Amino acid sequence: MKAPDLVPVSLEVNGIRFEGDVEPRKTLADFLREELGFTGVNLGCEHGVCGACSVLLDGAVVRSCILLAVQADGCKITTIEGLAREEKLHPIQQAFLDHHALQCGFCTPGMVLAAVDLLKRSPHPTEIQIREALSGNLCMCTGYVNIVRAVSAAAERIQTAEKP
Amino acid sequence: MKPAPFHYYRARSLQEALDLLSGPAANGKLLAGGQSLIPLMNLRLARPEALIDLNNIPGLSSIRSAGAEIRIGALTRHREMEFSALLAKELPLLAEAIPQIGHPAIRNRGTLGGSLAHADPAAELPCVLTALDARMVATAPDGERVIRAEDFFTGFYATALADNEILKEVRIPLDRRPAGWGFVEFARRHGDFALAEASVLLFADDAGDRCTSARVVVGGSVERPVRVGGVEKLIQGEISLNTQASSLAHVLQRVEQLTETEIQSSIAGGENPDYLCHLTGVLARRALESAMERWRKA
Amino acid sequence: MKNAQWKGQALHPREDRRFVTGRGLYLPNLSFPKMLHAAILRSIHPHARIVSIDVAEALKIPGVVCALTGEQARALSKPLRPLIPLPVETPYYCLAYEKVRYVGEPVVAVAAVSRYVAEDALEKIRVEYEPLPAVVDPEAAMKPGAPLLFEPLGTNILWHDRFTYGDVDGVFSRAAHVFSERFFIHRYSSTPLETFGCIASYDNSRRYLTLWTNDQRPGQAMPILAHSLGLSITQIRFITADIGGGFGNKRKPPYLVLAALLSRLSGRPVQFIEDRRENLMALVHACNGVMELEVAVGEAGRLLGVRVRDIADEGLNVLNPTVHSLLKLGNVTNCYEIGAVGFEGYSVMTNKCPSGANRGIGKPFMCLALERMLDNIARRLGRDRIELRRQNLVPPELMPYTTPTGELIDSGNFPETLNKLLALIGYESFRKEQEKARFQGRWLGLGLALAIEPSTSNQSSYILTSGRRNASGAGEAAMVRVESDGSVQVVLGDVGSGQGHQTAAAQIVADELGVGFEAVQVSPYFDSLVSPWLYTTGNYSNKFAGTDVGAIQGAAKKVGEKLLSLAAHLLEASAEELELAEGAVRSKKDPNIRKTLQELAQVAYRDLLALPAEMEPGLEGRCYYRAALADLPDEQRRVRGQLFVSNAGHAAVVEVDIDTGRVSILKYAIVHDCGTVLNPVIVEGLVHGATAHGIGAALYEEFVYDEQGQPLNTTFVDYLKPTAVEVPDFKTDHLESPSPYTPLGMKGVGEGGAIPAPAAIANAVENALEPLGVRLSDLPLTPERVWRAIHSAKKKS
Repeated sequence: MKAPDLVPVSLEVNGIRFEGDVEPRKTLADFLREELGFTGVNLGCEHGVCGACSVLLDGAVVRSCILLAVQADGCKITTIEGLAREEKLHPIQQAFLDHHALQCGFCTPGMVLAAVDLLKRSPHPTEIQIREALSGNLCMCTGYVNIVRAVSAAAERIQTAEKP
Repeated sequence: MKPAPFHYYRARSLQEALDLLSGPAANGKLLAGGQSLIPLMNLRLARPEALIDLNNIPGLSSIRSAGAEIRIGALTRHREMEFSALLAKELPLLAEAIPQIGHPAIRNRGTLGGSLAHADPAAELPCVLTALDARMVATAPDGERVIRAEDFFTGFYATALADNEILKEVRIPLDRRPAGWGFVEFARRHGDFALAEASVLLFADDAGDRCTSARVVVGGSVERPVRVGGVEKLIQGEISLNTQASSLAHVLQRVEQLTETEIQSSIAGGENPDYLCHLTGVLARRALESAMERWRKA
Repeated sequence: MKNAQWKGQALHPREDRRFVTGRGLYLPNLSFPKMLHAAILRSIHPHARIVSIDVAEALKIPGVVCALTGEQARALSKPLRPLIPLPVETPYYCLAYEKVRYVGEPVVAVAAVSRYVAEDALEKIRVEYEPLPAVVDPEAAMKPGAPLLFEPLGTNILWHDRFTYGDVDGVFSRAAHVFSERFFIHRYSSTPLETFGCIASYDNSRRYLTLWTNDQRPGQAMPILAHSLGLSITQIRFITADIGGGFGNKRKPPYLVLAALLSRLSGRPVQFIEDRRENLMALVHACNGVMELEVAVGEAGRLLGVRVRDIADEGLNVLNPTVHSLLKLGNVTNCYEIGAVGFEGYSVMTNKCPSGANRGIGKPFMCLALERMLDNIARRLGRDRIELRRQNLVPPELMPYTTPTGELIDSGNFPETLNKLLALIGYESFRKEQEKARFQGRWLGLGLALAIEPSTSNQSSYILTSGRRNASGAGEAAMVRVESDGSVQVVLGDVGSGQGHQTAAAQIVADELGVGFEAVQVSPYFDSLVSPWLYTTGNYSNKFAGTDVGAIQGAAKKVGEKLLSLAAHLLEASAEELELAEGAVRSKKDPNIRKTLQELAQVAYRDLLALPAEMEPGLEGRCYYRAALADLPDEQRRVRGQLFVSNAGHAAVVEVDIDTGRVSILKYAIVHDCGTVLNPVIVEGLVHGATAHGIGAALYEEFVYDEQGQPLNTTFVDYLKPTAVEVPDFKTDHLESPSPYTPLGMKGVGEGGAIPAPAAIANAVENALEPLGVRLSDLPLTPERVWRAIHSAKKKS
C-alpha cells in the first residue's frame, strides 16, 4: 500500500465545510491560516507550549500547531473568528474588552478559547482554577491579572444569563 | 519550524496498523495524541519516514471495570480519564495525578497509550501506573502479550515494546484497595514535567490500622520509574494508624533519607545530582504524608 | 488646554476589539501574490571559520528559488553601521562572512515557495567549518590570550571607560564605612509572543523597496536599511503592521537587509519570520554581566558615594553595544541623594547571541545591585532597612534634582511612594506574621525595592561612548487633520505594540480640539510615505509621554489655531472671543454663534474662495516635537541620558520551601508614579505586564550556555516564562507627581515594573532566610540555587 502524497480531508471550520487534499505534514495551524485564511490562529512557538495557536476541535481546546491538518478530518473546528455571532461578541470576548485583558492581542485568541473550554467544564471556577486552566497560555504583556478578572466576570455573566 | 516530509497512513483497525508497521511503514512511528511527537517533528528532532495514525481505530478508547481490574483502552484521552467517575472512585491515585499532566489542551489530545509508549520518566503516568502495578497489553502480528509496568519501562524513552508491537490496553488490578494513597510532583511551573515525583500506596490489614505493605515509586530525573524497595520495607514495618506523632516524624525523616540514598544510582542529573536526589526524597516523604492523611480520614 | 474631558478617563483601548475577534493585522497575516518564504541556515559552532558553502543540492529542490551567502551579501550590500566606531573596521553583514561567532548566527538564507520547502532546502546545504576556541565568560574574554572574535581588533573589549563625578576617592577614603559586593546578572529576554519578521518586495525595474515589518524603531531602521542597500530613503517605503509585543526586542536591521536582498535576487516579495527557536537563540538577549559595587556610608547612615566596576557581556554585538552600560550609569544613584559617583564600565564581546534592547535595559541590574546592597548595609550597620532608605531619599523639595552623573530627576515624591508601599504590603503587621510563620516551620520573607524609572532616551548620551555626535535629543512627529466631513485623523510616527497609543492619542486630540473621543481616528500603523517621522521615531524607552504627547498635542494645536482663525473670519469675530468645544468653534459669550468642524472643513476643502486671502486650504497640522530637557554632555561628561523620571516602589512577600528551595510569591504590592495619568486602564496594564517580566527574570528565565558556547535552552520547554500560576495578583496604588517639563505632565510607564521587581524578590528571599544567614548571588532564584544557598549556609553554621 503506497501512501499518497496528498491526503483527502473533510472538515468544518467556523461553520464552513471544507473538502480538499492536504500535504500530510501541514500542521492544522498552517492549514487554518493559509488555506482557509483564519489568521486569528497565531503562531507563537510551534512546539505546543505557548497556546497562541489554540482552537476548539469538536468543542475542546487543542494546540493546532502540534496537530496535523489530516488529523482534523471529520472534525468541527472553531477558531476565534467563529466565536462571535456577527457583531455580538461571546461573553468571554466582551469580558476581555471590559477588563482590558489584552495589550498586544497576540495571545488573546488562544487565551479566549482556553477560557471557553474552562467555563464549559467548570462554570464556577475559583481564581486558582482559572489560573491553572490558563497556565498553558503564555501572555507577555498583561501579567495575567486582567485576564483572570475577565474570565471571572465572564463566568458570572454566563451564569446569570443562563438562570431562568 | 516545520516538519520534514513523511508518508501518512490512516489506520482503520488495529490489524491494519499492525500490517503497516510490519510492512510499508516499517520505519514509521505510531501517532496517537501527538503531543510529544509532533513538537519533536516540528523541531526536526524526529523525522520518521511514515506516520501511522491510530486515532480512527474504533474500540481502543474506553474505561471500564472487568472483574477485579480496571481496563483502559490505549487511545483513551487524558481528559476522558480526568473526568471519569469510575477512575475517581476506583483509582484515586490515578485521578490525583492526571490533572497534573500538562495543560487542558494537552490532555484533550494526549492518550494513555501514547504517554506510556513515549516513556518519559518525568511524566506522571509511568510513575503512577508502576505504583498501581498496571499491566500493559501489547498486540503484535503473532498475538498479544501482557507486560507488567515494572518490566515495561526499560530506560530513557524506552519500553519493552517491540518495533512491530502496539499498545492496546492497560489493566489495573483492584484486588487490593489501598488504605491511603498520595501522588506528589515537583515541577518548575504548573504543568511542566516533573523534576521529581512520587507515588505512594499504603495497604492495611483487615482491621485497617496496621500497614501490611506499601508501594513507593518515584520518577522525574531518573531513566525510568523506580520502585524504592527499601522504603517500602521501612514503611511496612513501622507505620500504623496508631503510630505516635514523634515516631511518625522519625519514620518520615528516614523515608526521605533512604529514598535519597537509594535513588542515587538512578538519578540522571548532570554534574550535581545531589539536589535531585534530595528533592526525590522530600517528595517521597510528602507523598507518604499525604497517604497517611487519607488513611486517617477514612 | 481648556477641555480636559478625556484626560484621565479610564477608556478601554479601542484597539482591543480587533484583537479580541482575531482580526489583528500582524505581519505573519500579510500575504502577497508570488510571495516567497525565507529560512536561514545558522551556525552550529560558537566560533569557527567558514571554509566552504555548497548550496547546489538545495537549489535543486522543487520550489526553492534562490539562496544567499555571506559572500554574496558582502558583494550586494554595505556593512551595517556600528554605533561605536572601532579602531579597526569590523564589517558586519546580514549573513556571516568568513567566520561565525555564535551558535545561531545566520550563515545562508534561502527563499522558497513555502517555509516547509525552505527548511527542506536548509538540510541540503553543506557548510564546512573549521571550529575555533570559543569564549563564553566575559571576564575570560577580557584576558590576554582569550580567543578573539575579531582578530584585527586585538581585543574583545568593545568599550572601556571611567567616569568620575565628585571627589570619589576622597569620599571613600574618609567614609566611616565602605561596603563592597559583587553582583551577577544573567541573560534573559522579554520574548514577545509574536516573533520578529518582515516582508520585503524589491521592484528591480524602478529600484524601489517596499518593506512590511514589525520593527519597533522605523526611524532608526530606515536609514540603516537605505545605507546597507545603497538606496536613498525615497526609494524605500517602510510599513509596520500590528506588532505583537515589542519590549525593545523587535529590531534587527540585518534581517530586513536579508529579506530585501532575497527579494532583489528572486524578483518576488520575500517573507522572513523567525521561528521561536531562532528567536530565543539569535534575536537578542539582555546583557549578562558582573558588577562590583562599593558604597561609602557615613557614620549616621548617609550614603556618600558609589563606585561601580561593571562588565557587560554583549555577545556578538558590534552594532550597538554600551547601551546597557550608559543606562546603568544614568541610574546609579537610583532614588537617593548620593554625592559622589565613580563608574568604570566595560562592554565585552563573547561568542553568544548579540545583546540589545530589552525591557529595562541595564536598569534592572543597577537597581538589583544597589537595592540588595542597601539591605546588606542595613543589616551590617544594625539599622532598619526602611529607615536607611528613607533618610537618603531625594526629597521632593530638592526637585528638580540633578544627580552627579547629570540625570535630572524632574519630579516625584519618593518618601510618599515608600509610605504608600509600606501600607499596601502591610509592612507593620508583617514582622509578627513572619514570627508566627517561623514558629509553624514556614519561611516567609518581605523584600522591597525602590526605583527611578526614567523614560525618553536622549540620543546625545551616546556621544559619551561613541565619541561622535551621530544624533542628539529626543523627538517624535505627528500629524492631525480635520477631514472634509469634520472627523479627525491622527497619524503618529511612533508605532505601538500594545500600549494603547491609538486610544491615548485620541484622548489628547479630543481634548485639544474639543471633539468627542469617537470623532478621532488614530492610524495604528507606520507608513513612511504617510507618517511624519524623525530618526528618533519609534517605540522605545517609554517615550510616549516625553515626545509623542508633545507631537500629538502640537499638531492638534496647529489645527486648532487654524480652526479658530477660519471661524473668526467666517463669523466676523476675533479669535480670542472663540473657543473649541463640542465639535465646533463657538463664541465664548453666546454658544449659539458657532461653526461646526464640518462647516469649517467644507470651506477649507471645497469652498476655497470663502477662505481668508492669506490662508491655505486644508486643515492639517504637523508637529515635529523636540523634548524639553535634552542636553549635550558637558565637560564633566554629565548628561541627561533619559528624561522625565517616573518612580515606583515594589514589595513582595514570599514563602521559601526550605526542603525544595521553591519560592512562591504570596503577596506583591506596587506603588507607581508616572505623573499625570492619561488613561488609568492602560497604565495599570503596563505596570502589571512589566512587573511580570521582572518576576520572570527573578525566578524563572535564564539563557544558559555550556562551557563550549552551546546554548542549552532554545525552546519554551526549557526557557521558562512565568504563567498565570506563577505571576501573583498585584496590589497597586499610585501617586501623581506631574513632570513640569512635559505638555501634560505625563511620564513614561511601559518599562517601569521590570526595573525594581528582581530586587524586591531577591530581597524578600534573603529576608525569609535571614535566620539561616543565607546570601544569594545568582539570579534567577531557581529552587536548586536557593536550596544550595540554604545548604551551604547550614554547613557553615
